[in-house]
Amino acid sequence: MEDNNGKGKTRERIGVYVCHCGSNIAGVVDCPAVAEYARSLPDVVLARDYKYMCSDPGQTLIKDDIKEHGLTRVVVASCSPRMHEPTFRRACEQAGLNAYLFEMANIREHCSWVTDDKAKATEKAKALVSAAVRRVVWQQPLQTREVPVTPAAMVIGGGVAGIQAALEIADAGFKVYMVERDPSIGGHMAQLDKTFPTLDCSACILTPKMVSVSQHPNIELLAYSEVVDVQGYVGNFKVKVKKKARYVDEEKCRGCGICEEKCPGRVPSEFEEGLGKRKAIYRPFPQAVPNIPVLDRDNCLYFQRGRCRVCERFCDSNAIDYEQEDRFVDLDVGAIVLATGYDLFDASADMRYGYRRLDNVISALEFERMCNASGPTAGRILMANGKEPKSVAIIHCVGSRDTNYHQYCSRVCCMYSMKFAHLVKDRVGHDTKVFEFYTDLRAFGKGYEEFYNRVQEEGVTFVRGRPAEVTDVPETIDEVGKLIVQAENTLVSRQVRIPVDMVVLSGGLEPRSDTAEVARMFNISRSQDGFFLERHPKLDPVASMTDGVFVAGCCQGPKDIPDTVAQAAAAAVRAVGLMNKGKIQVEAATSMVQAELCSGCRVCNKLCPYSAITFDEEKKVSVINDAVCKGCGVVAAACPSDAIVSRHFTDAQILAEIEGVLV
Amino acid sequence: MASASIEEKIERGAGLATADGGEPKAEYGFLEEVRSIPGGEGVDLCIQCGTCTGSCPNANEMDHTPRELIAMIRAGMRDQVLSSNSMWYCASCYLCTVRCPRGVKYTDLMYVLKNLAWQSKMAKRGNRPLAMARSFVDVLNRFGRVHEATMLGVYYFRTNPLTALPLAPIGIGLLTHGRLPLFPHRIKNQAQLQTIVRKAQELGGISQ
Repeated sequence: MEDNNGKGKTRERIGVYVCHCGSNIAGVVDCPAVAEYARSLPDVVLARDYKYMCSDPGQTLIKDDIKEHGLTRVVVASCSPRMHEPTFRRACEQAGLNAYLFEMANIREHCSWVTDDKAKATEKAKALVSAAVRRVVWQQPLQTREVPVTPAAMVIGGGVAGIQAALEIADAGFKVYMVERDPSIGGHMAQLDKTFPTLDCSACILTPKMVSVSQHPNIELLAYSEVVDVQGYVGNFKVKVKKKARYVDEEKCRGCGICEEKCPGRVPSEFEEGLGKRKAIYRPFPQAVPNIPVLDRDNCLYFQRGRCRVCERFCDSNAIDYEQEDRFVDLDVGAIVLATGYDLFDASADMRYGYRRLDNVISALEFERMCNASGPTAGRILMANGKEPKSVAIIHCVGSRDTNYHQYCSRVCCMYSMKFAHLVKDRVGHDTKVFEFYTDLRAFGKGYEEFYNRVQEEGVTFVRGRPAEVTDVPETIDEVGKLIVQAENTLVSRQVRIPVDMVVLSGGLEPRSDTAEVARMFNISRSQDGFFLERHPKLDPVASMTDGVFVAGCCQGPKDIPDTVAQAAAAAVRAVGLMNKGKIQVEAATSMVQAELCSGCRVCNKLCPYSAITFDEEKKVSVINDAVCKGCGVVAAACPSDAIVSRHFTDAQILAEIEGVLV
Repeated sequence: MASASIEEKIERGAGLATADGGEPKAEYGFLEEVRSIPGGEGVDLCIQCGTCTGSCPNANEMDHTPRELIAMIRAGMRDQVLSSNSMWYCASCYLCTVRCPRGVKYTDLMYVLKNLAWQSKMAKRGNRPLAMARSFVDVLNRFGRVHEATMLGVYYFRTNPLTALPLAPIGIGLLTHGRLPLFPHRIKNQAQLQTIVRKAQELGGISQ
């Protein structure tokens, strides 16, 4: 090795720190050996291994060494930069070293966590440290920049999570755009009859909040709308929203409902889970917010057959507008809260329980609507023949805790199943037999175990066993004309067949069917179960991996109403905090055009996903706007003249790094 | 073993004291034994939901339901498990395997238990599904194909020959219609089959 480092200038003074991370790294990687190896690398003046580099003493070690030994570069071999890069950069800065003269080698996620082979893991750790040491020599000091944050937030989804988040942000004094796909906000909670464990009427506690949303001066409600495009970055998002044509002029409509009354079209209501009918021009439910009907084009006589126009004739305010078209609005927001909710597991996928095959096997939401006083049966629990059931079986864990469908526990089904048991006893009569088929009862929340005990006292029969099937084929005379639930009563080790009149399937919660597309649009990840991935499962359950995009409610994972509301409020606080600061620091690692090399071909202008590149007509070269550039590197790779440099990812840095791995 | 430390007990997975307060018996190694045999891995996955029992067409004939059997294996109840009739009543319909929410291949596990029971000579002799299984294997080893008349002859001889009497009219009916050949078909090179079987037995893959 030559005496200089190949850069033809004075040698750097590099400090290398190998973290044990308790036993996370040291259990597999021989950390002292890696430090020993690091000492042999060019320019390294000291190398240490330490139990927890991220701890206060660990950081102090770095700071003291920078001052005492005059370090000009720092390498820490520890976890992922996602975890602690900011920590160590800050430590360097506090000791007067530019943050970009620090480099991190990931010997945990990329090394010790993925193997048990100690020898090979140590070798790899050495290679990664060698790469970081060679790279850091080429790193240059960069200055972080501050950009302003747009003081407005967007909440996507108008269920209880979105409502809570929007109200919190609006109350804090910031503008909120709420985007809801359906004609009305309210979400699944608006469909529920009672809520466990207090048995509050769901609509009674939700509708005041819905009204607050519509009346809040800081909230702009975009109902019957969808986000179609998201550009920009934290603090400066540009969101394109499609306002689907309602065929009703929102300014003119007074919500009198005459159009709905007179409309001759009748189709199954989505809100009533198909149990009831709605008109072709409709509000999903009487307390809908906004209180403006939507014309369902696919079922409208005028749109389908060219004649009718009854709604138009009866509307006093001339609000019906058959010519209305989808409109697009562009909105600038600083923060986004995703609260897109969940889909109920479609129990017909699990054939053995007979959903949509056998009469009187119903889903959880169908049961909710049946129980609701304003629902299709006016609150009466009825079988297909219009009579009340004398016995009801409630099956837990349908589609949950089952590797054939969803491995996770949906968390709410045990509790809502017991609520159902109570409602049967309450509505049909105390002598109605109710069987709860459960695998494990999870009554984990405040007042939940007490609710379980209350339902026990009401005479509900708990059978511990997951039913194998529901059939209408009788084996004995008692079973004729009944639905038979066959299961093992595991507590007495007997196979049982229990004939009942009605079976309610307590389906689990699953990710929305379009979660993948939404995740792609907002550039966020999903966890293995398909829900949106939070930044940290314990310490940051409301942020996503994308700065400025927060998650709330069941889109992040199944949860009950109290947990949803708590998460939504937390997400709101994070959004408010971001907007309150007014400015944020953004990466200094942007790209720049070397004007003398630029041929003015303008290839980069269209490629930039952030519209950060403009063309200087006078000099005939492209120019990158530093404030908008995110340093993604796309144009650096695409430039045919190699005129674009990606700061902190220069060719020299990357080649040195590769060389380091291969040595 | 009398002075085994707590750590050693935990190491052996035997934190459980026996009812008489004595040292845990070697039986607690039963779970280990079952899970180490291919097909037996599923015992660790079970969440005791009872889908298997609920689905089982023969559960009511069994000494212990399929779900209970897994609980017993985990509790180290080697004798009670291997001497039970449960696995012998498994019809290999695979309904439990298809429906199991944890992906336990229960039918495979049943075969593991049959093998263990036979190897450790704990299968009860009067057990009729076992007699049927043995008769089937004997005839197969002998001819290379199943021959119903011989197999049933051996089976009824092993159990209770008198119980065959009510079936005689059916047998005669089948015979006269040519559905029950009197003489067995043998495969070619039968000696080679027996060599294969012997080798498999030596390797422990087939119970002797």
